[in-house]
Amino acid sequence: MAELVREVFIEAAPEVVFQYLVDPERYVAWGASEAVLDPRPGGTYRALMGGSHWGEGEFLEIEPDRRVVFSFGWAEPGHPIPPGSTTVEIALEADGVGTTVRLTHRGLPEDAVGDHTGGWDHYLARLALAARGEDPGPDLMP
Amino acid sequence: MDAALKAIAEPRRREILRLVWSEELPATEIALRVGQVSRPAISQHLAVLRGARLVVERRDGTRRLYRADHGEMARLRAFLDGFWTDGLERLRLAAEAEQRALDDRNRDDRSDTHG
Repeated sequence: MAELVREVFIEAAPEVVFQYLVDPERYVAWGASEAVLDPRPGGTYRALMGGSHWGEGEFLEIEPDRRVVFSFGWAEPGHPIPPGSTTVEIALEADGVGTTVRLTHRGLPEDAVGDHTGGWDHYLARLALAARGEDPGPDLMP
Repeated sequence: MDAALKAIAEPRRREILRLVWSEELPATEIALRVGQVSRPAISQHLAVLRGARLVVERRDGTRRLYRADHGEMARLRAFLDGFWTDGLERLRLAAEAEQRALDDRNRDDRSDTHG
């Protein structure tokens, strides 16, 4: 199983950033177009990604202003990453004038990480779309 | 991509896709495991899945073997890469805007107190 790690520094306090991970109204500002969040262990995580794909799982760990872990997968029948099959951890670390946010997506199938070249052209095309402010979302699900 | 969406709209094709996800199988074996479906129907489903590039075919002597095209997984990885990268950038912009609004409000409160 493989993992994907992304980090970003945000000039905002951890308690401000944390609300964007657990409050559905704030979550839709960055991670989904619709979200159903019940941020407590065992609570629902549902996020409409890319306009037409529901990412689904449940919250596993909540440490206020520090860390959120939820399980994650796609609701489409037959999808190779079914709901709950992977985990996403978002850790917040107070860092001077802001917060370092580290997102780790674990449990992805090796193939999803191993052979990056097959998706490279597609990835660049998607980046171009995103950069123009268009939503490159629904194109990619097997 | 329309072809892929149409291909997975049919439940038996989704079942076939699951069967050949981690192992390569001949059509006869797929027909056995899916059940309730004729060999010709299985062949048709496989043709649709191949047309949508979700399944690839390999010849081994007289046999034809089928497996899921894991290139799709590479594209899925690319999707997640892009999705989380773009998402965190949106998170940064939104949280920083909220922090600035909070800071402004606090400053106004202080100047009210002292002014």
